[in-house]
Amino acid sequence: MMEVLRLQNLQKSFGSVRALKNACFALKEGEVVALLGDNGAGKSTLIKAISGVFPIDRGDIYVRGEKVSIRSTRDAMDLGIETIHQDTSLAPDLSIARNLFLGREPVKLKWLGVFAPLDFAKLRDAASALLKRVGISKNLDADALVSTLSGGERQSIAISRAMQFAAKVIILDEPTNNLGVEETHGVLRFIKEVRDAGHSVLLITHNIHHVFQVADRIIVMRRGEIVAEQTVADTDLLTVESIITGADMSALLKETRAK
Amino acid sequence: MIAAEDEMPVGKRRSSLMRSPQFSSLVILVVLLAVFAIADANFLSPLNISNMMAFLPELGIIALGMTLLLTAGEFDLSVGAVFGLAPVVVMLLVQNGGVDIGVALLAGLLLCIAIGAINGLIVTKIGISSFLVTLSMLLVVRGAALYITQGFPLKSWDQPGFFVTLLAGSFNVGSFRFYTSLWWFIGLSLLAIYVLRYAKLGNWISAIGSNRNAAVARGVPADAVKVWLFILTSVLAGLAGMISAFRISAASPVAGTGYELEVIAMVVVGGTALTGGRGTILGTIVGALMLRAIRNGIVLIGVPGLAYNIFVGLIILAMLILHALLQKNAARG
Ligand SMILES: Nc1ncnc2c1ncn2[C@@H]1O[C@H](COP(=O)(O)OP(=O)(O)OP(=O)(O)O)[C@@H](O)[C@H]1O
Ligand SMILES: [Mg+2]
Repeated sequence: MMEVLRLQNLQKSFGSVRALKNACFALKEGEVVALLGDNGAGKSTLIKAISGVFPIDRGDIYVRGEKVSIRSTRDAMDLGIETIHQDTSLAPDLSIARNLFLGREPVKLKWLGVFAPLDFAKLRDAASALLKRVGISKNLDADALVSTLSGGERQSIAISRAMQFAAKVIILDEPTNNLGVEETHGVLRFIKEVRDAGHSVLLITHNIHHVFQVADRIIVMRRGEIVAEQTVADTDLLTVESIITGADMSALLKETRAK
Repeated sequence: MIAAEDEMPVGKRRSSLMRSPQFSSLVILVVLLAVFAIADANFLSPLNISNMMAFLPELGIIALGMTLLLTAGEFDLSVGAVFGLAPVVVMLLVQNGGVDIGVALLAGLLLCIAIGAINGLIVTKIGISSFLVTLSMLLVVRGAALYITQGFPLKSWDQPGFFVTLLAGSFNVGSFRFYTSLWWFIGLSLLAIYVLRYAKLGNWISAIGSNRNAAVARGVPADAVKVWLFILTSVLAGLAGMISAFRISAASPVAGTGYELEVIAMVVVGGTALTGGRGTILGTIVGALMLRAIRNGIVLIGVPGLAYNIFVGLIILAMLILHALLQKNAARG
């Protein structure tokens, strides 16, 4: 399988906090990789570096084997990397349709630049089509404000937005946070669909049960470093839990290195 | 069943229009106008309407810029001071420096751009709240106007010319007397409505004010947009100051004192959220008309001069309470 994303020795510090030390890993086409680790392990920092929220201090990023420099969120989007952040996703005062196309608005009279008028017909049609494809069209109006949606609905909108631009890599930072049982299952089903459509998914979550339901591979971070990498088929819940908490680290590290 | 569903959006849209802040402001404006008109027949006289329309654009033009800025989640307290400084600088250059009026106006424009850019860059790049930055800027700008004039108003300006006609010419329609500034206000209002509601930029402005991080994550250049909005607001304040100075043929270093709060009041009374994300130019126009009518009307109905602000303040407070209640209702329904 083709490698879509490779990180080599990524480093990032915030003042004296070394949030990322030498992070390396690769993501293949059509696979779901779960990124695990305790609070403050550096998971969000890692994906923010990939998605261009802030520049990395050191290290290389390769997309489809080619070395790239990601200096802004726009760069990441143009490379086909779509991210749904833990703390930010939608603008609540904007309609669903406007959110779906935020930053990539369909316009008429393109030469007017930022003053170009939005193509409302296209915006509405594309939004409705997308909502239908995602299967949440039943009672959502593309013109409804996002502030009127439930947390689960918002999450689905954010995920469908990542899907719509045929992103190569979709990164989800704790997408099932604060969601009910049904919404959570919706999101997990969604992740599988996204994978089946050929996208690669990097999933950050604290719920190990979810990992075993959708992920192909598991990567564990501790204090800014990647300490373990395992295939889901080759491991079990208890092992993964002990890696995350750091219990019995030596044995596991050995196991990881042996591969 | 299907018919009922098809009916839904229309009904929903109508009721959401009725519940929108612009609409409730409009209703209150009409009520106020009616009350003043009944209380004093002179309120709707051509002379009084002409009077109101002469003042309206000056604060209204600033309010347009302030609406966009507030929608993006920032505000500018230095507009009143810029309103005072720009004409003072322009007229000093012409009267004492012997500079051509066109060149002097260009210098005034550059000054406003610089003030707005400094405001915007400090707010976005250094990350200090716009309240503190523009409050300091207010003091700097007002202080500069007082210092370069030594506190005295400049001697009157009595040279008619192209620019005076352009900014403060007047014309009669029947027994009404209007100023060209009204055209500026109408033109700029239409432009602002277009930008905020129909253009890509407006989508960005609302998104930045609603959830800045989300907008940035979608590649929206939030800081650049904010800096340009600070520049726009500053330039509009300077333009309004020039219009006012040309109209009364004088430039005073204390002109525009307190305008910043009056303008912000116009904007929020119109229904724009102080917290960003939700802005309405139509609401701002209604708000500008309302504050103008209140100031004018309470004089006519004989409220003692020193008591004006009590009424103005109370009416603004009532409007804000109304918006808050409507907002709560909408959230619940
Ligand atoms: N902008 C920042 N400035 C300073 N320190 C930061 C910043 N962002 C993250 N950190 C620090 O970097 C470390 C890693 O944070 P990060 O958000 O990546 O953790 P995480 O693994 O996502 O945790 P969680 O599971 O709680 O979301 C933490 O110690 C955090 O305090
Ligand atoms: Mg995190």
